[in-house]
Amino acid sequence: MRIYAVLIYIFLYFPIMLIVGFSFNAGRYAMSWQGFSLAWYGKAFSNPLILQALGTSLLIAFTTANLSAIIGTMTALGLERVRGRTRQIYDALLYIAIMVPGIVIGISTLIAFVTLFGMVNPILQSAWNIKIEMGVWTVIAAHVLFNLAVVCFLVRARLTGMDRSLVEASEDLYASPWGTFRQVVLPLLMPSILAGLLLSFTFSFEDFIITFFVAGPNVTLPIYVFSSIRRGVTPEINAVGTVVLMTSLILLFAAQFILQRSIKQTTRSPLENVKPL
Amino acid sequence: MTDARHSRSLTAALLAPAGVFLFFLLVLPLAVMVIYSFGLRAPEGGYQAAFTFDNYLNLPARSKAFTNTLLLAPLATLLTVLLAYPMAYFLAVRTSSRWRNTLLVMVMAPFWTSQLLRYYAWMMILGSKGIPGWLAWIGIGDVQLLNTPYAILIGGVYGYLPLMVPPIFVSLEKLDKRLLEASADLGARPLATFMQVTLPLSLPGVATGSMLVFILLMGDYILPQFLGGGKVYFIGNALVDLFLQSRNWPFGAAVSVALVFIMFITMYLYMRFVLGRGDQRRAVMV
Amino acid sequence: MSNDHIKPQKFLDELRRLQNGSVTRRHFLGVTGLGLATAVMSSAVPGLRPRKAFAEGLSGTVNFTTWPNYFAQENIDNFTKNTGVKVNVTIFGSNEEMLAKLQAGSTGWDLFVPTNYTISTYKKLDLIEPLDLKLVPNYDKAAQDPRFTGPGTIDGVTYAIVKDWGTTGYVVDTRKAKIPETWKGFFDAANGPLSGKVLVHDYQLTTIGGALKALGYSFNSIDPKENAEAEKLLLATKPHLFGINSDYQPSMRNGDALMSMCWTNDGAQLHRDIPEMEYRLGKDGGEIWADHYAIPKGAPNRAAGYALMDYLLTPEVNAKEVISNGAPSSDTRVNKLVPKEMLENPILYPAAEYLSKLEFGAAETLTSPIRAEIMARFKAA
Repeated sequence: MRIYAVLIYIFLYFPIMLIVGFSFNAGRYAMSWQGFSLAWYGKAFSNPLILQALGTSLLIAFTTANLSAIIGTMTALGLERVRGRTRQIYDALLYIAIMVPGIVIGISTLIAFVTLFGMVNPILQSAWNIKIEMGVWTVIAAHVLFNLAVVCFLVRARLTGMDRSLVEASEDLYASPWGTFRQVVLPLLMPSILAGLLLSFTFSFEDFIITFFVAGPNVTLPIYVFSSIRRGVTPEINAVGTVVLMTSLILLFAAQFILQRSIKQTTRSPLENVKPL
Repeated sequence: MTDARHSRSLTAALLAPAGVFLFFLLVLPLAVMVIYSFGLRAPEGGYQAAFTFDNYLNLPARSKAFTNTLLLAPLATLLTVLLAYPMAYFLAVRTSSRWRNTLLVMVMAPFWTSQLLRYYAWMMILGSKGIPGWLAWIGIGDVQLLNTPYAILIGGVYGYLPLMVPPIFVSLEKLDKRLLEASADLGARPLATFMQVTLPLSLPGVATGSMLVFILLMGDYILPQFLGGGKVYFIGNALVDLFLQSRNWPFGAAVSVALVFIMFITMYLYMRFVLGRGDQRRAVMV
Repeated sequence: MSNDHIKPQKFLDELRRLQNGSVTRRHFLGVTGLGLATAVMSSAVPGLRPRKAFAEGLSGTVNFTTWPNYFAQENIDNFTKNTGVKVNVTIFGSNEEMLAKLQAGSTGWDLFVPTNYTISTYKKLDLIEPLDLKLVPNYDKAAQDPRFTGPGTIDGVTYAIVKDWGTTGYVVDTRKAKIPETWKGFFDAANGPLSGKVLVHDYQLTTIGGALKALGYSFNSIDPKENAEAEKLLLATKPHLFGINSDYQPSMRNGDALMSMCWTNDGAQLHRDIPEMEYRLGKDGGEIWADHYAIPKGAPNRAAGYALMDYLLTPEVNAKEVISNGAPSSDTRVNKLVPKEMLENPILYPAAEYLSKLEFGAAETLTSPIRAEIMARFKAA
């Protein structure tokens, strides 16, 4: 079984090793090796287009993740409190939000926005001389839709499995509703919320197809990589990909490490420091 | 009484933001899409108001795209499950808790390299300087892998394996090991234990994972574009072309509606078949 | 600039000699003292000086939309250095995509590069604005090759200015394949000896056009019967194709494909890097095209869009574009600044006998729903 696992890891990482390896290629065309060089890293990170795309992607992903986490959690909590029609409608819509393929979301959002802007802009233009256009915020809006549903499902799963007696105990001890929420419910939900945050960030950062349709003139990193690949990748893109991967891995392991340590600390036995008589 | 009122307004406040998003970014766009699907293509492309079923009647013109997708997406999902399950099992059951999370993260990490770049790497691996080249070197000549359905399958499995493993892992990890012990104590052989205890209890995880992967594959554009090179045509390609090449928005809308419709039906059937009606909810709550 | 370096008459003589090509630019710059002045203002662009006031009104970002491998980064960087305006470049793969995005609205583009046959459609759909030629002083109509100035001007109003021109042919890896002489030969080879190794464009204009040429029809035909035959040919060829892709350079370089439909600039780039890659025009015809600069309606930073266009049309800057992209310019002033080897490169400047057979793409061809649907069916087959 262990051999199987190793093979899977090789399968997963071989193409990635190719990408990383060729980021050090001195030659211009990504697949013909012409010697070792770090030049592409320099080029990539002094390329204003790449930096801008990276910045846009980070902005969108960060905003999406936070909004999705907040709204998703709020929705999960809210849905616990309703029954009947409202709940059914929300359940159905959230399910649809996840089920509809990204490409359909992207296209339909584009059409809807274009139609909406087309109707609203002439009025705005003549009254206040402003126009609304597709931009970063349209991408964020489209991303949040999908991701809030993801967060909502994750948090709800956690909520339904949550031990009610803890909440009741807190209330018995005269904690205010907000207090109960902050000190009992929220910490219990944290793992799901964090997972949702992470997942939303990843989906948003990586997303191509929705962004492709609704970004207007903005370029995110995936869009930049897409247009680069279409004309033959230079190792510049490999360099960017490698850095993004390494950064995420470092962040993840750091988070892991911190989490492990805090768990160890909180699970130390309270009797540890008691000396035996 | 104020308490109940507060409670209701709190609930409303909690649900409002999602409501706004769901309405303006899901219901409205999909409604517009449906309306467009009954329209006509404007002479230079775009939408022209009309009410006609022509677009739906023209759907068979893209039948190959539908059949390709409906064949390859489930197949790729199945292959991914088959590859992911042993991996998830290994991680959940056979690794020490010290390494478990790290190893799991290592499975998910490829997801943080741009999907586009990973597919590009496969374009090279499956191109004539990659595997076919090595095969030619040892004498098996003239194998074409790129721009074939096989490339799509390989690429699809590769791309979604990191997504399929975690849900299965989670449901396997939650498994009460005592159940396995009990089964062994009752004289069941390992295979029987697996088939009758482990597998059924891990099905919700399998369902979640395969649902997610299936949805992503059905709407995929990048995978068939890079690894299919125009020769393996998915619904995703048809949609992008209809909006960006022939600019036939009404027909594109009809294809989108058809896609969503097909997905609903497939998902429903899958849930019924794999889980039985009562467990449908469980799948999304792993 | 003091006058004691050179007398006015001598200046004019030298200028004429430069224009005739009798002396090099370097000689001219040296003799007239302009070289020194230019060196002093080495980061300033010739031509931008008189309109310094205009340049000072610019700010922010300019969104420039163009084709792959179609601009010299150096020029873009210099523009930013001179004006302080950041250039945001977006790359598109086809005119249809550009049209689709513009039709969808709110693209935010300030300057883009449409091909000749799209301009009348853009005007019809009210997507581009008539150019304010006062803002483009570097455009000299008299210096333009008259073959290409037609499409950009509609009813006497200029909507677009020619950037460069080129042709559509095919590129062949002569290490492993023989060069077909005609489009018919192209398709015969694709179905025959080169099966599995040929690419056609993901673009109905050139792909259906090529098939039509192979059958002896016009590249621009929108006749249903002729197009039906073309569709048949394409469908028969499809199983033998390596792919349907307008981004053929990687596959050609990789060896996955040995022959592909090809545009001038890609052909020039491939040949430069791999001399065995030969670019050919079909003896039975093909396409000649000209890419233009145009300003979309509602450009957010219109002033910067014009400034960028004007900058890129400056002969010296334009010459750099030609050298780096491999697409010839229609501006005679630019051709004077391009190295002789390039002027003699048959890829960039094909022989007259080939050129005469080529057709300019037509607007109706691009927007034809028949051809669009045939292409879609071809891809979906």
